Amino acid sequence: MNAIPAELLRIIIGLVAIAVSVGLIGLVMVWVERKVAGHIQRRPGPYEVGPNGLIQPLCDALKLVGKQLFMPKGADPILFWLAPVLAFLPVLLLFLPLPVGDGLQTLDVNLGLLLILAFSGLAVLSVLLAGWASNNKYGLLGAARGVAQAVAYEIPLLLSVLAVSFVAGSLDLAHVVKLQGTWPWNWNIMTQPLAFLIYIVSALGETNRAPFDLPEAESELTAGFHTEYSGMGFGMFFLAEYANMVVVCSVATALFLGGWHGPVLPGPVWFVLKVSALMLLMVFVRWTYPRVRFDQLLVINWKWLLPLAVANLLLTAFFVKLAQFA
Amino acid sequence: MEALFAGLGALYLAKCDAAKSGQAFQAFLPAGSLVRAAERLLKGGYFIEDICAVDCLEGYVVVYHFDHFETPGRLTLRVLVPHDAPTVPSIANLFQGAEWHERETRDFHGVLFEGNPNFIPLLIDPEMADCFPLRKGEKARAKAKDMLEAGEVIFVSPAFTLMTPDAPAEVKESGGDQPATA
Amino acid sequence: MTSYQNTDHLAGDFYTQNFAKTAGEGNLILNLGPQHPSTHGVLRVVVELDGEYIMRAEPVLGYLHRMHEKMAEVKTAAQFIPNMGRVDYGHALGWNWAFVGAAEKLGGIEVPERAEYIRVITCELNRIASHLLWWGAYLLDLGAFTPIMYAFDDREKVLDILQIPTGSRLTYSYYRIGGVAQDLNADCIRRIQEFIPWFRSRLPMYKDLVSDNIILRKRIEGIGAIEQDTCRRYGATGPVARGSGIDYDVRRAQPYSVYPKLDFVVPTSELKDARGRYDVRMIEMEQSLRIIEQALDLMPEGEVLVKGAPKPSWKVPAGETYFAVEGARGKIGAYVVSDGGKNIYRTKLRAPGFCNLSLFAEVSQGTILADAVAILGSLDLIIPEIDR
Repeated sequence: MNAIPAELLRIIIGLVAIAVSVGLIGLVMVWVERKVAGHIQRRPGPYEVGPNGLIQPLCDALKLVGKQLFMPKGADPILFWLAPVLAFLPVLLLFLPLPVGDGLQTLDVNLGLLLILAFSGLAVLSVLLAGWASNNKYGLLGAARGVAQAVAYEIPLLLSVLAVSFVAGSLDLAHVVKLQGTWPWNWNIMTQPLAFLIYIVSALGETNRAPFDLPEAESELTAGFHTEYSGMGFGMFFLAEYANMVVVCSVATALFLGGWHGPVLPGPVWFVLKVSALMLLMVFVRWTYPRVRFDQLLVINWKWLLPLAVANLLLTAFFVKLAQFA
Repeated sequence: MEALFAGLGALYLAKCDAAKSGQAFQAFLPAGSLVRAAERLLKGGYFIEDICAVDCLEGYVVVYHFDHFETPGRLTLRVLVPHDAPTVPSIANLFQGAEWHERETRDFHGVLFEGNPNFIPLLIDPEMADCFPLRKGEKARAKAKDMLEAGEVIFVSPAFTLMTPDAPAEVKESGGDQPATA
Repeated sequence: MTSYQNTDHLAGDFYTQNFAKTAGEGNLILNLGPQHPSTHGVLRVVVELDGEYIMRAEPVLGYLHRMHEKMAEVKTAAQFIPNMGRVDYGHALGWNWAFVGAAEKLGGIEVPERAEYIRVITCELNRIASHLLWWGAYLLDLGAFTPIMYAFDDREKVLDILQIPTGSRLTYSYYRIGGVAQDLNADCIRRIQEFIPWFRSRLPMYKDLVSDNIILRKRIEGIGAIEQDTCRRYGATGPVARGSGIDYDVRRAQPYSVYPKLDFVVPTSELKDARGRYDVRMIEMEQSLRIIEQALDLMPEGEVLVKGAPKPSWKVPAGETYFAVEGARGKIGAYVVSDGGKNIYRTKLRAPGFCNLSLFAEVSQGTILADAVAILGSLDLIIPEIDR
């Protein structure tokens, strides 16, 4: 019998670990989000089920799994059920090149960033499929908005990431992290603050988080592109949104905040702490600001983020070249 | 106020006791001059408050309430239409807000407004839109003069007896019943 | 063939089909509501969309129509007062007042002065509660999930205060023909006196965090401009008219009760858009506090119900009257015609929201769907009063 190559084994183990982590993170994030939302709104949030509401997400998950899966009349069955699967599964792939600790990454590939950016584009497809296949006008409107938004915000995201990789000279995430130091003044956020800001705003736009959550605008389009989904279909979209959030925050940590670098505590702990801090920031923003109107959303992107990102990139390229001559 | 109604063929014009009945002036108009009166009111800066109908013995009295933002004082226009042919021209082309009030009056009383741009039922379900809940039966109807305020008559057309009190013993409201010259 | 070829269910009902008759080629016809998170109550708006732009809109009413005007014809005047609490649950005391005031005018009944002051205090508290509900719900529509929690926190205090004399939290039937049902006891007055400074301290926070927030400003500035002429043609009153610069408030234009003795500002805005209406309502809340303060100071001792107040079987004397009050949404009118019989002959309830909503079709033409929601919210609609 052929021995399973070590590389493949590593990927399989990694994927299993990622799948478990993503599930756990989803549960934890649900609780965190609802608790933070509650306290911002001067109420306790979930606190009945389990100590301080800790078991609430589990109950929600069980409820979602137990619900009847039905499809609206006139919906396309294949596309309808493909959409949530397509939303969730590629996210697992996005975790492969992330360096959680020194040398701790599932896939050691020198095009890690490219892999992440490429696969995150699949999320757009799932939004479109969901809205289209629902046979619902609200869903269609939500899908149209979602696609426009996702496609628009990918570009400044890309450009800001590119600026960092110019400085590091590599698309390999592990390499970018290694080049950063232990202390905050050694992190890339010091050399690329504008890129960090652009990245965070674009990340909010890519993951459909408030204030850019128009595709699922509850008060305008009922639930946008996932109006017709209930039970686990909705659960998949939900999980995928949180998983996407984790991915963008992890990439931000790796690129800008020094990844697993940090004094005293081991690498993975710092990584988790930094990612959690960014996620908390996203949750805070969601419950504080109103929603940006759709055309304003696009204006922010095309008139502000994009020119700024291009300018930043050009400036970075100029200084990198200058440094090479010196 | 007389200038506002000059040449419209008003049947009845009276100054009312605003403290008691909330209206400053009232006028009964023939259905034909309603639109012209509404034009003058629109030019005069009045806004439409509401339109309703009261089912009286003599017919439906369609009541239009207008008021003014700058010089407050309610002006009431009334049109009397017979029970069997309750048709009034619509003022919805001048006061667009009247469209809904007229549709509601049609739902409740069955008064038809000719020229209303969207004359479908407003509040009552289209499938049972012909029930006209506020129509009263013969026995329950009362005379208009017993309920509506007569006010101080400024002008009353000789043929118009709707508001003329029956006999001295029955006069309830203030105001005289002598026709004044226009 | 596959089931999704059958499109019978897409034909729509009477209103959709009637609307679709004059629809443009390739435009989408969409129903906003009647079950929809941001139509406040059961409102349905049929819109014709060209992409995201509204070509035409038509509100469809009647989902909450309970025929209060018919109920008035089979009840005596006193029996009808609870209905008035249900017409508009946002500002129930305003509607109480409109009807009770009309009955009092017809009956020539004079209300004791203490009762007048109590009416003013409770009505203004109700106005604050109504505006808070509007504010929270409006921001919820615009995607901010937090202000409604703060608004309801404030509102709880008002509801607790109003519960003491009225016994209800929302649908009040507290006014009687000839006064009010109960006096405000010492506990109630103390709570009001505590509420005023506490709420005053909250308003600056709302201004800083919410009203001046750039995202909110971008959502409501320049949206839904209503000209003064439009207000005239549709009969819009209240903050909708005042937000367009029309200085018209029933408390000043056709004063009733003890309002002439009270000093307060009627806010108007020259902005004409949703921002103007928003500002007007925020300032009105502050002014209501002022009114309550003055009323508490000026309130004399005495009876709260006139001696010989009408019994439930009281017959309204023959006559007609129109009594209007300034409600949170605009001019509330009760037109009562009586023939002296046991029941009221005809009651016409003039709802401010009815006239305010009717201008939506004209104002929303050419706007984006997201803005339509912002405009609807700025009109402060409570559908039960529109449908009655």
